[in-house]
Amino acid sequence: MILIVGGSYQGKTEFARTEFPNAKYFNQFHLFVKKRISEGKNNSEILSEIRDVISDGQWVIISDEIGNGIVPMDEADRTWREVCGRIMIELAKDATEVYRVVCGIGQRIK
Amino acid sequence: MITLIYGGSSSGKSSYAEDYVCNSKYKNKYYLATMKSGDKETEERIKRHRSMRQGKDFVTVELPYDIVNAIEPDADSIILLECMSNLVANEMFRDGKINKASYIVDKILKDINELEAKAGSLVIVSNDVFEDGLQYDETTKEYLRALGEVNAKIAQMADKAVEVIVGIGVER
Repeated sequence: MILIVGGSYQGKTEFARTEFPNAKYFNQFHLFVKKRISEGKNNSEILSEIRDVISDGQWVIISDEIGNGIVPMDEADRTWREVCGRIMIELAKDATEVYRVVCGIGQRIK
Repeated sequence: MITLIYGGSSSGKSSYAEDYVCNSKYKNKYYLATMKSGDKETEERIKRHRSMRQGKDFVTVELPYDIVNAIEPDADSIILLECMSNLVANEMFRDGKINKASYIVDKILKDINELEAKAGSLVIVSNDVFEDGLQYDETTKEYLRALGEVNAKIAQMADKAVEVIVGIGVER
């Protein structure tokens, strides 16, 4: 699995399509995590679901980095960024390659 | 020697910093914790960090500000300061006053320099809180100014600056 992270509107999807045209995409991963949290799922449940989904074929997971801001006032937002961050760390360990995209430029960090 | 370890919330920067310190050659490892406990959530966060540190042979010193007084280290000591975002907030809101960014920056850099002169190595964890694109009130902006400047000055002084992204350290 290949993991691509970066801020919003940084050209992550285009980078993925250019670099890995034949892969399957799991895009907007951060929003998937938010949805699962709202359904009452915890960290490890979400992680095992995603691992299950990507077990077949070459997958690219694309996610916004949402942890680079002031601590949110809303508790649900705080939980979201914490859970999202922790899951991404685990996915980065699983990944064969990790990229960080800024201004459309992808930097390979693993 | 100063090392800056920088990253967003839940980016894995603390775990990275702890490994970095544990893999160093220094005999005495100090953990300088600047977070003030207050509510349940901060208590949980502190608990999580404590359990992460268990068995890693750290001497923990909890001090919300005036960090120069924290430890009397020798040259065989390494100090892990966790973290700068809390220290800046604590130096800003203290003694019933709100201090200005320029004062906070000078104060913290002076303390950092004095502490570093005594210790073998100082590892500073700091937080990327600058990329949510939101507009904040003047006090929060002043805080962002102070932390941004402290981060930049420390990066200048540092022998090494590492940004941690999804648990992966990238040298800057």
